[in-house]
Amino acid sequence: MLAFVTGCAGLQSAPVRFDRLSDCPKQTADELSAKQSQLGPFSDTHTLECALTVLRDSQDIALLRTSLGSRLCLHLAERETNPEKRAKLAAEGVELAEAALTHKGEDEGAVHYYLAANLGLAVREHITVAMKNLDRLESEMKQALALSPDIDDGGPMRLLGALYLKAPAWPNGIGDLDKALELLEKAVKKHPGHPLNHLFYAQALWSEGDEALLSQVKAEFALGEKLLADGNWGHNKAAWKKEFDAFRQELADAASAPP
Amino acid sequence: MRKTCLIIATLLASISANAAPNPEMIVVCYPGGLVNAKDANEAMSSMLRVVERVGQWQQNSFISLFTAKADECRQRMAEKHPKFAITSLGLYLELRSQHNLVPVVQPKIKGLTHERYRVMVQKGKYKSLDDLKGKTLGGTVLEEQSYIGKIVFAGKYDPASFFVLKKSNQAIRALRALDKGELDAVILNEQQFGGLGSLHLEKPLEAVFTSEEIPLMGVVANSATTTAEERVRFSKALEGMCADTEGKKLCELFGVEAFAAVDPAVFEPMVKLWAKGG
Repeated sequence: MLAFVTGCAGLQSAPVRFDRLSDCPKQTADELSAKQSQLGPFSDTHTLECALTVLRDSQDIALLRTSLGSRLCLHLAERETNPEKRAKLAAEGVELAEAALTHKGEDEGAVHYYLAANLGLAVREHITVAMKNLDRLESEMKQALALSPDIDDGGPMRLLGALYLKAPAWPNGIGDLDKALELLEKAVKKHPGHPLNHLFYAQALWSEGDEALLSQVKAEFALGEKLLADGNWGHNKAAWKKEFDAFRQELADAASAPP
Repeated sequence: MRKTCLIIATLLASISANAAPNPEMIVVCYPGGLVNAKDANEAMSSMLRVVERVGQWQQNSFISLFTAKADECRQRMAEKHPKFAITSLGLYLELRSQHNLVPVVQPKIKGLTHERYRVMVQKGKYKSLDDLKGKTLGGTVLEEQSYIGKIVFAGKYDPASFFVLKKSNQAIRALRALDKGELDAVILNEQQFGGLGSLHLEKPLEAVFTSEEIPLMGVVANSATTTAEERVRFSKALEGMCADTEGKKLCELFGVEAFAAVDPAVFEPMVKLWAKGG
């Protein structure tokens, strides 16, 4: 299976086995296709595992050419606390997206988006693997941005902006604060209702290291935090809260550091 | 030099004691870089764990303390009194007497253990460094003005009085400003100069100044708190790193071919230049 993931160096790929599969409802590929829009952050984990199991065994081209498989893997990976299982689920999400692209997926922008999101998750624990996949990540995110810029509340802008923010800067890598600021400001303006757009934009502004921007950093952070607290974000809420907490701590550490 | 800093920090773990209930602090200074300290420490930690496993050292024997600010580096060195540190050449020269610092190991990049600095301008706009008197000069390396004046310009130009300095924590932003004509010149280190080909700037650039060869700085040790044996052990560990299967991946990733034990004579001319600069 690993060989199938061309271009994604060093991903560990082996399907994660799920428990209680005997409790899954009998579903055909058609039935799964019909309800795919209902599967997401509000679905319970067992439901997602059952759906992924159906998809794994399916030969239905119409189903395999969608972004569903990759999206299911992403949701499951984001909920997984075991780093090894998380990486495997995300790697499977990359594979399924690759398979969808070979079948000329109809929602190609979404497929590239979930491919990039899974790839980012799969490599994040391993710096050498992550560095080798930076160009691939950028390429997939750029394609998602070109084809479906507004999917997932500006997800391609948010992810690509975050990539430019976090990656090693030139000349060592593709990191580019100017590009990050441009994309994340755009994400905030076009999709002001998503908490992570505000969090990532706050982080980019913070990276400027300019005291004059501190009030704007805090305002963006507070707005994102309020959106997270007030909104119904399903299973995403807990993971996103950790990201907010980590940045709040970073701001607090900087405030308490000696001048 | 960030990559070098990070990999050296990782490799430093391999000389730690077999049992280390209290991890040894490694101060890592990367003045002028756009680096999030949290991310940098996480990256170094990842690499430290690999080295500990490969070298059969106890996990978490060392921890890193990273800063991209020269002032903070001075402060951390004074507070933590680290046995080993990773500093820029400028900070080494400044702090060597105060902290009894001795160079231990140098990285070798593209076959070289030295680099040159260059002042870049839009092609044809200025003929020499003297033409840039009173003009704007940008660059990340300006975080260390004394070093640039005393070592890079060999005491012939005082950056603060000769140029209008525009410090930046991003080389790429400074180069874009140069491309647009918002800056008159940008000073680059070897790694930045080598990366120019990957940028898509509209105006061609040329160097109006190229420094003499300046040794790459790596790891330094406090000679008062480390023994000669510790320093040799440390140096040997690093020298063997890039030949190790796992270590080789890290070395390749960071573009370092090898680590070489320091010949103290290499740094003597720098020490003299620094002293001459007052």
